Amino acid sequence: MGGAILAYLAKRITPMLSSIVSFLAISSAAVVFFTMTSSTDVVTVSVRNFTLQFGLNAYSWVFAAMVMGISALVSLYNIAYMSGKDRLGYFNLNFTLAIMSMMGIVFANDWISFFIFWEIMTWSSFLIVVYNGIDEGKIGTKYMIFSAVGGYAMLMAIVITNSQIDSFLIADLINAYPTFGHGMQAMIGILFLIGFSVKAAVMPLHVWAPRAYSDSPMSFTAIFSGLLSKMGIFGMAIMFISVFSKASIGDTFIYSQVIAWLGGVTAVMATFYAVIQKDAKRLLAYSSIAQLGYIVTGLAIGTKLSVMSALFLAVIHALYKGILFMAVGAVERQAGSTNLEQLGALIRKMPWTFFSALIAAIALAGIPPLGGFVGKWMLYESMITSTNPSHLFLVILIFLSSTAAFLYVYRLLFGLFLGQEEPEWDHVKEAPAPMVIPMVLMALTLILLGYAPGLLFEPIANGMEFLGFENVGWQMSSLSNIWGDTVDMQYVWGSVVTLFVLGAIFITIKNRKSTRYVTTKDIHTSGEIPEAHENLTYAVDFYKPFERAIEPVMRKTMDFYYNHFGNGLESLFGFVRKIYTGNGQTYAMYVVIFLVILLLIGEQIFK
Amino acid sequence: MENIDFNQILSIAIYGSAVGLILIGLYAVLMKKHLTKIIIGLSIIDAGIHLLFIAIGYISNGTSPIFSEKGISLVSEGTKMVDPVPQALVLTAIVIGFGVTAVALSLVIRLYRHHQTARIDQIKTLKW
Amino acid sequence: MVVSPVHFIAVPLLAAFLMPILAKVNKNLLRIVPGIVLTYLGYVSVVLMNRVATEGTIIEVLAGWSAPWGINLVYTPFTGFLATLMIAMSFLIWLYSFKFKKVDDEPALKYFILQLMLTTGSVGLVLTGDIFNFFVFMEIIALSSYALTAFYRDRNGAEAAFKYLLIGAFASTLFLLAIVLLYSQVGTLNMAEISVRMHDVPTSMKVSILVLFLVGIGIEAEMFPLNGWAPDAYSQAPSPVGVAFAALVVKAGVYGLVRITYTLFGIEGSGIGPFLIIMGGITLVMAEITALKQTSLKRMLAYSSIGQMGFVLIAFGIGTHEAVFGAIFLMFNHAIIKGLLFMSGSYLVYNTPNKEIKYLSGYGMKMPVISLFFSLGALAIVGLPPFAGFWSKLYILLAAADGALYGLIALILVVSIIEIVYYFRVVGRLYFGKPAEGSIMRKPTVGGMIAMSILAIAILVVGFYPDIITGYIDAAASSILNTDEYIKNALGAVNELTPVENIIQ
Repeated sequence: MGGAILAYLAKRITPMLSSIVSFLAISSAAVVFFTMTSSTDVVTVSVRNFTLQFGLNAYSWVFAAMVMGISALVSLYNIAYMSGKDRLGYFNLNFTLAIMSMMGIVFANDWISFFIFWEIMTWSSFLIVVYNGIDEGKIGTKYMIFSAVGGYAMLMAIVITNSQIDSFLIADLINAYPTFGHGMQAMIGILFLIGFSVKAAVMPLHVWAPRAYSDSPMSFTAIFSGLLSKMGIFGMAIMFISVFSKASIGDTFIYSQVIAWLGGVTAVMATFYAVIQKDAKRLLAYSSIAQLGYIVTGLAIGTKLSVMSALFLAVIHALYKGILFMAVGAVERQAGSTNLEQLGALIRKMPWTFFSALIAAIALAGIPPLGGFVGKWMLYESMITSTNPSHLFLVILIFLSSTAAFLYVYRLLFGLFLGQEEPEWDHVKEAPAPMVIPMVLMALTLILLGYAPGLLFEPIANGMEFLGFENVGWQMSSLSNIWGDTVDMQYVWGSVVTLFVLGAIFITIKNRKSTRYVTTKDIHTSGEIPEAHENLTYAVDFYKPFERAIEPVMRKTMDFYYNHFGNGLESLFGFVRKIYTGNGQTYAMYVVIFLVILLLIGEQIFK
Repeated sequence: MENIDFNQILSIAIYGSAVGLILIGLYAVLMKKHLTKIIIGLSIIDAGIHLLFIAIGYISNGTSPIFSEKGISLVSEGTKMVDPVPQALVLTAIVIGFGVTAVALSLVIRLYRHHQTARIDQIKTLKW
Repeated sequence: MVVSPVHFIAVPLLAAFLMPILAKVNKNLLRIVPGIVLTYLGYVSVVLMNRVATEGTIIEVLAGWSAPWGINLVYTPFTGFLATLMIAMSFLIWLYSFKFKKVDDEPALKYFILQLMLTTGSVGLVLTGDIFNFFVFMEIIALSSYALTAFYRDRNGAEAAFKYLLIGAFASTLFLLAIVLLYSQVGTLNMAEISVRMHDVPTSMKVSILVLFLVGIGIEAEMFPLNGWAPDAYSQAPSPVGVAFAALVVKAGVYGLVRITYTLFGIEGSGIGPFLIIMGGITLVMAEITALKQTSLKRMLAYSSIGQMGFVLIAFGIGTHEAVFGAIFLMFNHAIIKGLLFMSGSYLVYNTPNKEIKYLSGYGMKMPVISLFFSLGALAIVGLPPFAGFWSKLYILLAAADGALYGLIALILVVSIIEIVYYFRVVGRLYFGKPAEGSIMRKPTVGGMIAMSILAIAILVVGFYPDIITGYIDAAASSILNTDEYIKNALGAVNELTPVENIIQ
């Protein structure tokens, strides 16, 4: 086990000069990972007076498996997606580094190596965000600032922890946390949570995410949104479940509640934003933030069921968001645009892409029978049955956002794949096989997990037992609730599929003769034939009424306040630097004034 | 006694003029705008400090600090000896001060050619 | 030949003065001699480092007068570490500038002499055990720096050099004044002996001396209100000189500050520690926020350098073994990383007007290797793992946490965010955007590439395997903290008089 980790760490640190090499490295690492039985070996590396420890446990196995599986597929997609672009070496080096560092985070047994890999992940992903070179680096800078705030909050927590317990081991913090003083508990807890919240894009710290997600190359965004953000979830789960739960309930209860509500608000707001987006990438980016909001809420509530649902959703989200970003990437590559108001009717040209995107969208919207439904079901249930009455309001928020999610998912599918055909997109063809295969494979995985969610419950339950829950129950293919009812997924699955197939056959037979493919210009309005430049795609102003309804909420974004804050600071800094006047005599004056002041007050300072 | 008074006056005069020189130099460096005057000010400060240094090593009625081969003072026992170290150091410091002044003046020439002025408050291309 | 610390001063000084004659013999000797000298010194320092590790501090008495009367050189693990670092950096600077001056048609003779003098001064300042000798070396550094700053006639070098000279003259004046007052009180110039006799000095006098020393040496160490000269000098000097400032001059200044506060006055319970922390904090904050608004790359690097020195001061102010370890580590890291940044950065901005950052868009494609070096340096200097800068930052933060200085940690980290912003702005700019047409790239020289590659490899190696260096730094930290040991070693040489002949051999 240890040798395997080191082998692929070493293998990946070397610069990869092509996508293929990077794919081979990642997939071979994945093969190594999955063929390894979950052994408990620990690798230690010692640096001066402390040791770094790497090892795998039941909880990190869930995340490691997710990272390895999905990134192996995405790197296959990457080969085709990135072909023909500039600076592949640069891109693939960072791509591989980011994935390697996620594995590092998951394997880390101590905070120092956790932080090291966390930061590697941050800067390598930063270098990818600026790869496309949009918007003069503002996006990258914003991403970097927020990541740095998060990373350094974490670093501060880590060094303070070390000063308290003289150990960097995660396990030691978990054990020692209850013994800390009240203030210390609060400080360490809050700092760690800030660190993780940034990556998980929780509401006040999310502003970097939409642009960073949408402006990176899509093959990386699939990783970025699907996996990288999950590292925040990974850390948060450790904090909420292992660390906080050991402390007396009253102390840490408040953080959990605050984070749960923040997660809920994130989910709703981001969903609203997603609905009004005109660009598929931007839409998906907001949708990611919203989905992460659910997961955070689930973790923060902290009951057995909610945590399970959160972890389940985390994995499912990585899958379906990976598919959607890859699908959008495929469209972008084949058609050259991702604007929902211009594209349309790609279904006949890119059927496989449409199929995977459809499956992913169903999962995202939480429609039975796919995985998303299972996760959301458990989340609702856990909140409704919660002892805390405020969770009933929270469930309303989540439900609202979940419903609104239908809107944007539908818009996405419609805008890209449905509607009338435009002659402009006639040349579009299906994406090449390396792009299609990962999408279809992941879509099939989603279907499988919808059919038998237990496949995923098993490792999650093991992981939760590792984190400190006892007797986490699960069933292979059914959900049970506390009222004693059992929902058997197989029946749900069977009936839905039957209905769907029957409906499809019916519609096909009925419409076969009368179907005529039309373009948007194939209409007459009051006898006038529309000019070619008029954009008559259905997707224009798709949700105009909805936009109007939510407009007051959206007007001032958090982004706005951050920008003002940033500008204010910059002008303050600009003022401060005037102290360097450029006049040598002034500098000499500073020296003399400083000297005189020191001579006058010297006796007070120096004994 | 007349003699002691003279010595006291002398030491006050030396210390006083040392401090006075330093202050005059400081004034020139901080207030005068002309580059050459600033350099003169620096030299005056240096002179003041050298004077102070010498004054510290000086002992009234002392003799010159010369040792014989055997490491015994040539002068007879009981007479005081002027501390030689400050004098040696001041010599070094004067040489250094000379070097700095030379470099400074060459810079002034360069600056004047470049900016057509020797006023320090007008040479501010580099700032912030 | 017997290696001894005195070679560090004698050999380069001799070479520097012989160079005009050698240049008459053959023009090329001029370029080769410094390399030979520095290689030899590198060999000497490696030998001495090993000897010091096994036998302890090496004392070299000059001219037969033993301490406390004569001048002695004290080669402790700390001074040895710094001297080795300085010589290694000088060697790389020589490599970097080997061909540089040929192209520019500026007097190479002066350049190499001055660089050698700068090296001599810095190494001598670190090794000397005599406070007045310290002053002399400080002046050697200062004079050669003034001249090097004004090296290019077409830049604003003279202006920068004059400001530097004005402030530097203040530094030496105050330092000399401090020596005068100190001598009048303790009657000796040997630092070890001063340290012993310091207890008898009346407090008010002690404080005055301390203040004069702090301000005098604080100017060289770029402490906040005293550092107006630094950005100008860094940005106007030829780029190898910028490296030399960051790697030698400032390091010498910080060394002086540490030697004076730790050994002469004693850091414990004297109020110097908090003072250094506060001043370091102010320096750090002021420098970094000024750096954020810079439009010129070299000025940005200069302010960043000042900020790093503030960080070093903070660490020395904390004063525990862990903190001093972190501080020395940071000095080492700063030398190699800032060296790399200056070297690669100067190629990037070689042909841009005013060295401005905004013209750098898309250079990542045009100068891939140089951009990679610069990005590596930027990642390392802000302390991102797994590069060298991370470990020093981590150790300093750990030391601060052990001292329960939580506000300080927060301050350092907030400032680090500012640092990240301005460095990543540049890195981002290098890698996105369309390069402007028609700008001519400066092809790096072979020597320059080798020098930068060595630095880059050093950053990576230390980043991945810090233990390669931590042993030396640990010894250095113990040696600076243990004042009694220093005194015993430095004055212990009294008993074993070294004859003059020994040195001449």
